[in-house]
Amino acid sequence: MAEDIAGEIDKPKRWAIPFASDMTEADVDAILKIPPFSHIDPSAFSPLVPLRGLFLNDCRRQRYQRGDIIMRAGDYGNSAFFIISGSTRLVLDSLDEGLLGRGTTQRKTFWQALSQLWKNPTLPEVQNLEHVQQDHRLGSRKKEGGRAHIFLQDVPHVLDEHRTARVEAGDFIGEVAALGRTERVGTYFAEEDCELLEIRWQGVRELRLRSPEIKAHIDRLYRERSLKRHLEQTPIFKHLSQEDLEKVAAQTQFLSFGTFEWFGSYKRLREKDPADRLAAEPVIAHEDDYPNGIFLIRSGYARLSESYNHGEKTVSYLGKGQVFGYDEICYNWLRGKSIPFGRTLRAVGYVDALFVPTAVVESFVLSKLDRARLSNNLPSPRIKSEASAYRQDAANKLSPNMLEFLVENRVINGTATMIIDLERCTRCDDCVRACASTHNNNPRFIRHGLEMDGFMIANACMHCADPVCMIGCPTGAIHRETAHGQVVINNETCIGCATCANSCPYDNIQMVLPHRPEGGLYYDKTTHLPIQKAAKCDLCHEQLSGPSCVRACPHDAMIRADMRDVDALATWFNK
Amino acid sequence: MVQQVKNFARRHGCGLFVFLALSLLSLALHRSRVINLIHCQVYSGLTLFAVLLFLASFNARKKLPFLPLLQASTWMQIHIYVGWFSVVLLFIHMEYRMPSGPLNTTLAILFAVVSVSGIIGLWISRTFPQRLTWRGENVIFERIPAIRFQLKQEIAALARKAVMESSSSAIGDFYVTQLKDFFDGPRHVVSHILSSNKPRHRLLSSAEAIQRYLSPEECNQLQDIMELVRLKDDLDHQYALQGTLKCWLFVHIPFTYGLLLLAAFHGLIALAMT
Repeated sequence: MAEDIAGEIDKPKRWAIPFASDMTEADVDAILKIPPFSHIDPSAFSPLVPLRGLFLNDCRRQRYQRGDIIMRAGDYGNSAFFIISGSTRLVLDSLDEGLLGRGTTQRKTFWQALSQLWKNPTLPEVQNLEHVQQDHRLGSRKKEGGRAHIFLQDVPHVLDEHRTARVEAGDFIGEVAALGRTERVGTYFAEEDCELLEIRWQGVRELRLRSPEIKAHIDRLYRERSLKRHLEQTPIFKHLSQEDLEKVAAQTQFLSFGTFEWFGSYKRLREKDPADRLAAEPVIAHEDDYPNGIFLIRSGYARLSESYNHGEKTVSYLGKGQVFGYDEICYNWLRGKSIPFGRTLRAVGYVDALFVPTAVVESFVLSKLDRARLSNNLPSPRIKSEASAYRQDAANKLSPNMLEFLVENRVINGTATMIIDLERCTRCDDCVRACASTHNNNPRFIRHGLEMDGFMIANACMHCADPVCMIGCPTGAIHRETAHGQVVINNETCIGCATCANSCPYDNIQMVLPHRPEGGLYYDKTTHLPIQKAAKCDLCHEQLSGPSCVRACPHDAMIRADMRDVDALATWFNK
Repeated sequence: MVQQVKNFARRHGCGLFVFLALSLLSLALHRSRVINLIHCQVYSGLTLFAVLLFLASFNARKKLPFLPLLQASTWMQIHIYVGWFSVVLLFIHMEYRMPSGPLNTTLAILFAVVSVSGIIGLWISRTFPQRLTWRGENVIFERIPAIRFQLKQEIAALARKAVMESSSSAIGDFYVTQLKDFFDGPRHVVSHILSSNKPRHRLLSSAEAIQRYLSPEECNQLQDIMELVRLKDDLDHQYALQGTLKCWLFVHIPFTYGLLLLAAFHGLIALAMT
């Protein structure tokens, strides 16, 4: 007889926490009768992740009433929706921020800015939540399972004022954002009472992987809705005609690498040694492999490395919009050679890429270019025998230590990373005081963080290019500012669920307990627990003068760096 | 970012140029005797007072981070070069002579304290951060007492354990005579400021010296103790240097206010007399 041993537990399983607790076998039966799900072959699914289990655990049925907002443009989603019944409306132009539950940023006037000198409270986190008023054009209602829906009060008015398109039962919506970790591109609301099946991203990926019907369905939608636009925006395809572009799009493949929710494993990986960390990064293309196509990074970041003695040396990183493999294919085509990939491309966390086969690149891209001109501007891929180097490599600009550090700690994600030159910083904390002065006496960063070669990456929101903190915010309170792209929190719609703070891989979001102006905390009327709110750096988007931390530093010791701009970064590091 | 680096170099160049131009102009005006002596002293005095007021306004800028009032680093550069210019102005105002009378002498001393503290402040602001960066863990100044307390608890526990586990008192004696006081608070502040490693070396040598009286197990425990000594010394280094970086302003700023008040008084009297 097996004995119980202290500390033994069941190994956590993928579906330990289902997406919804109210999915039943009857629901699954009903869903499996609806096309395209009715065409799925259950035997294609692994016994560990069976089809029925997927619908039971990765899906939930959501009922929406007329006017309920299903998703908002600009939000980061981690699920796709399938319309079971009823119809929804896609808003083709943009709704104003108030209607999307986001605050509108109003810069302070000179007088309002100055009055902070005497109006800043002495107590921490003083907020006036009693006077918070929701936009009168919006309502909210709580649904079964405790899920809240925000709805438009005046649907006919929205239909009159905005261009919209009907999306009916049998279609997916939000699948592109869910698969590619991109922003939702459209706002959808229920045109009439309708039912949708919400599938979390893991489920969508599994369905797409195991079922050719679903893959074809989703890929068709992506090709119709987004792919052509994406290719048009890629410089190497800019000269193609619409007809050629369509042919390229038809042969483009969609690939995903790594874990979508990489922020969970990131902290554990940080404890491991560099070789283990590297091994945990999925290989997209391997050095010495034949270049069978180009990879266009759609979202996430990839590490470029090359073998060096017994290890791998990071030489650069690629982000959204950048291309891998073009130089090798171009070189081979012009010279009639077949050099392999010069570097290994790995997903740092998560990468969503488009793959265009070599034959397609040669037929539609290279053959349309002036051969002589192309030959003059021949790119110089890394050919081991010739030992040439990419001039654009970050490794040529940043020290190897620094480059490895930035990539491994995924600091490359930041668009406004706070970097402090410790050899200039006198630790005077003028930056912290300035931050506090511009945020009601509450500093929104800590002058503390990772260090490398005399530089510190301080614990301040980096306003990431891939803001994983935005995934799963139930009210859309954390969002990107439309004007300048800062990731900010709308205090009025933040419900204090801490999803963003738990998701931030860099621990740059804090949960705070707001105080009443007269002292004391706020409490929830139902639970009687203290109200909490998420707080983080907002790059002083309401202030007249931009980020006060950088402006307050008397010693030029601090910058807010866009990590995508390697040249500027190198200038700062090597100054 | 590139712009920021260029701005930094440009600011230095502009500052130096403006300082030299203003100084040469003032000296030329003074030497040419375009203005008579009494008027020259009034004008140079008023200019000097205005310059001092401007220099003091840097502190006000720090209190107003929410207003678009140029970057603090730009202010800093202006502050440095205008500060040098004020020294030139003072010499012109004093007609290159030593001050006479108690008021003038006090004023000159105050000016000297403010200037020298400013120069020292500038020097330590440029040199101490490098020393802080490369020795010990970078800690926030306000957290140092808590870390020190933690180290104190750890060393006491180690010493207690060493005594309890062996029948020897060597480590206990060493702790009582030398380590307890060292871990009780910040120590060797001046040595750290002067970059001297003598106290650290002496303490570690003493620890090594008692090894001959220890069993192999105690030797291992002593190694742990020596590691804590190094950590505490590094912490003291951070405390001494960060403390100095904060403290010099407590001389520079109050003396500036004193100087301004006394200069205003001096100006009123001088104007009344003329």
